[in-house]
Amino acid sequence: MRFVRLLCVALLCGGASGVLAHGTETHAAPAIPEQNAAVTPLPWDIGGPFALVDHTGGTRTQVEPDGKMQLLFFGYANCPGICSTALPMMAEVTDLLAARDIAVSPVLITIDPELDTVASMGPALAGISDDFVGLTGTPEALAVAYRAFQIRFTRIMDDPRHGPIYAHGSHIYLLDGAGKVLTLLPPVLSPDQAAGIVARYADL
Amino acid sequence: MWKMAISALLMMLGATAAQAAGGERIQVKGEIIDTWCYYSGVMGGPDAVVGSAHHTCALWCSAGGIPVGLLAEDGTVYMVLKIEGDANSAGGDTQLKLASHEITADGMFYRRDGLNYLVVEKVVTDHGITNLNHEDYGPIPGFAIPDPTK
Repeated sequence: MRFVRLLCVALLCGGASGVLAHGTETHAAPAIPEQNAAVTPLPWDIGGPFALVDHTGGTRTQVEPDGKMQLLFFGYANCPGICSTALPMMAEVTDLLAARDIAVSPVLITIDPELDTVASMGPALAGISDDFVGLTGTPEALAVAYRAFQIRFTRIMDDPRHGPIYAHGSHIYLLDGAGKVLTLLPPVLSPDQAAGIVARYADL
Repeated sequence: MWKMAISALLMMLGATAAQAAGGERIQVKGEIIDTWCYYSGVMGGPDAVVGSAHHTCALWCSAGGIPVGLLAEDGTVYMVLKIEGDANSAGGDTQLKLASHEITADGMFYRRDGLNYLVVEKVVTDHGITNLNHEDYGPIPGFAIPDPTK
């Protein structure tokens, strides 16, 4: 981790405006191919039961109460890095799918229960979308979810402005209403591309 | 605006450990790329966001949690889920060390949802940074190299 720490310091000292602080100008990008293969069982053994507390104080497990598919991300509500891309992308995917009458619930499981409490998660996530469900819990309860999804993260440093900064995963998991992992979505997909993939699973 | 993100700080882990049935063993040669800049087009065309021109930004993005990819010689992009013992798809020491490097990888290939996923079990050869396109493009983006006077 020494390299990462050095990198962080170098970036901060250099006044870097951020990993995703890229301008508004865009260029032609390579196309992601259309889906053409049959959906197959996920070749990774991932997912499982958990029992956490949502941002309203209610108990929430891997099961979506209304049976909706779920977009699941591990991070934290005020994360300035990849979450600032992944969480809005999840919200936009949810909206795109809602317009197609496909109900999806975006869910964030915190990697920092001290930072993301029942009281703090709701307002932070509402700034992105009212659809978001934030989940926190005891370290022991969260550890169950981390193990199930093979999540590992490292607290890299404490930033004066943003607080704790973590290294953490960035793939988004698509779960069915029962909490079974259907597939994963790289955060580099466009909302349209991600919505297209999710819609395919909705049709199964 | 893609917020500020001091975030060259975050790396990615998770998501990936064990793979099981369904994969195909392949050996492929290509460059470890920054998938965000490659696919988004926000930093320039595909030729500019690879190689030495994009090396610094690739480090930022990988450390910031963007999964790395492998751009094969035939143009195929593989989303890299894991490299050798480093169970990260971004930001791990191995991923940072190999940013912009051309490698020959041996691993398991999975095709899913129209995307290609690769679990690199072994870096057979690390060819280093072979695409010296900074001579054509300079640093991409220009602000990737911090101004030492600031």
